[in-house]
Amino acid sequence: MSTAGKRILMAKTGLDGHWRGPTVVAKALRDAGFEVIMIGMARPEEVMQASIDEDVDLVGLNIGGHVDVAVRAIGMVRESRPEVPIFVGGVVPPHAKRKLEGLGVEVYPPGSQLPDIVAAAMRLTGAA
Amino acid sequence: MNSNNGNGRVWNTASGLHLKNFYAPEDVPESHRKHVAVPPGESPFHRGAYPTGYRTKPWRIFQLSGFGKPEDENERIRFLLEQGETGFIMEHDRNTGDHCYNVDHPDVVARREDVGLTGAVMQSVRDIDICMKDLPLATSYGHAGGAVVQHAPFALAGYWTVAKQRGVDLARLPGTGQSDFFLTYLGCVTKQQIPTRDGLRFNADIMEFCDKHLPRWVPVSIAGYNGADTGLNAYQELGALFANAVEYLEEIKRRNTMSLENAARACGGVNFRASMDLFEEASKMRAARLMWQQLLERRYGITNPKVANLRIHCVTAGSRMTYQQPLNNIVRGTVMALAAALGGVQSLGVSGYDEALSIPSEHAHQMSVRIQQILQEETNIQAVTDPLGGSYYVETLTAELVERAWEFFDEIMEQGGFLASLDSGWLHERAAENQSEDFRQQESGEQVIIGVTDHKDDVSPFDVDGFMGVDDAYDVALERLHEVRRTRYEKGASQALGALESVCRDGENIMPAMMDALAAEVTLGEIGDVYRSVFGDWATPIQT
Amino acid sequence: MAVSQLSAQDTDQLLERARAGDRGALARLISVLERGGDAAASVERGLSSRGAGGYTVGITGAPGAGKSTLVNTLLGEALADAGRVALLAVDPTSPLSRGALLGDRVRMHSHAASSQVFIRSMASRGQLGGLAVATRSARRLLEACGWPLILIETVGVGQVELDVASTTDTVVVVLNPGWGDEVQANKAGLMEVADIFVINKADKAGLQATRRDLESALASLPAERRPAIVETVASEGRGAADLWAAIASHREAITLSGELASRRQQQLRAELHGLIDARLEAELDQLFASGAADTHLEAVAAGALDMAAAGDVLLRELCRRASAAIAG
Repeated sequence: MSTAGKRILMAKTGLDGHWRGPTVVAKALRDAGFEVIMIGMARPEEVMQASIDEDVDLVGLNIGGHVDVAVRAIGMVRESRPEVPIFVGGVVPPHAKRKLEGLGVEVYPPGSQLPDIVAAAMRLTGAA
Repeated sequence: MNSNNGNGRVWNTASGLHLKNFYAPEDVPESHRKHVAVPPGESPFHRGAYPTGYRTKPWRIFQLSGFGKPEDENERIRFLLEQGETGFIMEHDRNTGDHCYNVDHPDVVARREDVGLTGAVMQSVRDIDICMKDLPLATSYGHAGGAVVQHAPFALAGYWTVAKQRGVDLARLPGTGQSDFFLTYLGCVTKQQIPTRDGLRFNADIMEFCDKHLPRWVPVSIAGYNGADTGLNAYQELGALFANAVEYLEEIKRRNTMSLENAARACGGVNFRASMDLFEEASKMRAARLMWQQLLERRYGITNPKVANLRIHCVTAGSRMTYQQPLNNIVRGTVMALAAALGGVQSLGVSGYDEALSIPSEHAHQMSVRIQQILQEETNIQAVTDPLGGSYYVETLTAELVERAWEFFDEIMEQGGFLASLDSGWLHERAAENQSEDFRQQESGEQVIIGVTDHKDDVSPFDVDGFMGVDDAYDVALERLHEVRRTRYEKGASQALGALESVCRDGENIMPAMMDALAAEVTLGEIGDVYRSVFGDWATPIQT
Repeated sequence: MAVSQLSAQDTDQLLERARAGDRGALARLISVLERGGDAAASVERGLSSRGAGGYTVGITGAPGAGKSTLVNTLLGEALADAGRVALLAVDPTSPLSRGALLGDRVRMHSHAASSQVFIRSMASRGQLGGLAVATRSARRLLEACGWPLILIETVGVGQVELDVASTTDTVVVVLNPGWGDEVQANKAGLMEVADIFVINKADKAGLQATRRDLESALASLPAERRPAIVETVASEGRGAADLWAAIASHREAITLSGELASRRQQQLRAELHGLIDARLEAELDQLFASGAADTHLEAVAAGALDMAAAGDVLLRELCRRASAAIAG
């Protein structure tokens, strides 16, 4: 299998526009051969709608705020596209990380290295 | 050649300047040597803004602070002042503040749990009044918040209105705002915001208004910090910051409504980042002062020493605080604070050791204050001004940074100036290049971060869980918003809002109308709606 | 189920659901078309009996011209008029990694969660000319699913993208003030494709000069064929209504004159040409990959066979294989 034609949705759940982390991750995923659809700061229902219309194989959420906002977005995506895996990055304090992992979501906090994130995307989309 | 050690590794500064094994007198560029002999407090000021340095003016301990409801933030600020902070910063909630939304805006409702996480929710002058309760406005040094350009007029007018209501004479009120282009248009682009040229107008309006009514207030603070923490290296941070200053000064020159010297004085309180390359960062502060003097003299013929001495507020690099092994960050904060102090800054904030996890807990905040107090009181660092002055290494590095920074400044000018370099995304590209290079170096092992790339440790014995503030900020804010709408004098509010809208359209100075609007209890979101209808949205050049 | 494993029965079912308004099925079918192969061919067969009831507007222009922002404001106007709008936004695939960053939705938040707007980002996947391989069939799929109005935003590679003209009914070319040199350099191409010119960022310096350059370039055309010039400041929503009016009036004019019918004929021709082209290309890749060319290449290298003769032999082989594939 390869990454050819695999599509990843990248969204920010908060209204915080820091782009340093997400942009580097998006470029690394593109360089690994993924088609990365970026939607910027999106409400949970916008994340859900884009995950449907764009027929993505993986949803990546950058969270910069409270974990409950991300949990709501995850719930909405799961409801409409239960088969699509989700991973999360950003400022995720340990208690939030535990909560997300409890939902079956992989979490990549600050300091995560790009090769690990790319490897996760390949594994989650079945490209590796 | 002495640039290599025995095993062939090339040593560079964080911004990529090649380093020799040691430095000798002949390494200091000829043109720079004359500056070394000039004492601190004299032009060109690279050895210090003031002759007596920290002996007479210790740097201000100035921490970013705020979360939750206005009363939560007030309590934290008073805690910090008790702990020995010598100024205070009022942070507004970013969801509402940066975007000029009220809490009932659909984009905020969708993220209601985020509200209050990064600052107190302040939608009207009533909220600001609560946040400022019992604060020593006249004697301390306040930062009114409003880091994002479109939010600044509201935050400033709110602070000033409350000060006025408490009988403080605005002509004597000390303090600052930020209204920073680097944050707004480079580092942390909001979802909806006014275009850059309207932002420039706002900042020039604030400068004019302070010139007339608040002479002790630093109206805008250009924050290279936000450029640096987005990826710009040391000399890019310098070059871009002065390109930004030129944009403000040229606007004032076009308007011809205040003296250029006063405008330069107003722009001369800036904000830099201190990161981990100790000597490069200390040299950067020295280079900044030299460049400001050069810029004012060469471009505007300004030599007045009260204008040409750059005053620097410095914040330690939040991006260098690690999620892993967070207590290591106390050491990092100390080293970065030391770099700033050695560089002779006037004011300093140390990022919380839990920065990569959350907003600062009370303990992390206290630690940030303690780091500075220990440096000030226990190390004798305040005794001698510019302790690195005359070091062959530091003087060479200072001169080299100045040279590289002017080259970068020229590149920005070739792009059509600072605003054009933001509109086109050129500056974002420069930052992004460095971001990618940083990651590459961490992967290759050229850049080591203890606890992250090396000496990893899955289980930290000192678990830090991240501070999450309070959970009633949104509900209380919504209640208070309804109450303002119910109990304010509606006719007065709508007249003030209408007047503000005409001023926005006509191009007059926005601040008098903003003061009236705040006094009439017009809310943040109503003001934001006016902006959105008058100015539209900036066409952001980045995609995420 | 993975897109590559869909049977003809599966695609028929998807098409049925998509036509009944299931957006997930519609989205999946676009993926099928993008991937190509048997499943895509089966979708194409399913589409063949459907009439083309929609209208398509192409928006092209160099990177940085503000196409996405313009499209966002245009969506608002189009919605008010047509009730429902679909957008296909094409971005370039990196030739090195074959990956892509598709960022057009960032500018389209006002419509991000609307049930009346369908936005699909497409990577060009190696296709030159500003569109993706599957853009044309995706357009036909959208029409078959009852989307009355389809906007197609091209890659924006910095030169005139001719494909857009053979895929859409009205072509909008977006320029900025100060682009006089570009207008001069691309004069012939611009005249060939543009039905409407937009000078976006009209609040920037150089507006009048660009307008003059444009007008003089167009002066030689008869008045009734001269493209309208519309000024917009898309970031502030200014000019969007004018642009939409210009599009509507162009649509009306070419419908009345009968030009729309001939354009549609040209579109079919271009699409058929493109389809054969793509299949031959795939067949050719397979031919080389199978090693069938190796002995001829060796002969050419040894001087025993000339290039043209080798080409003749392989072209015959290619045609034989293509025929066999169709028959099989």
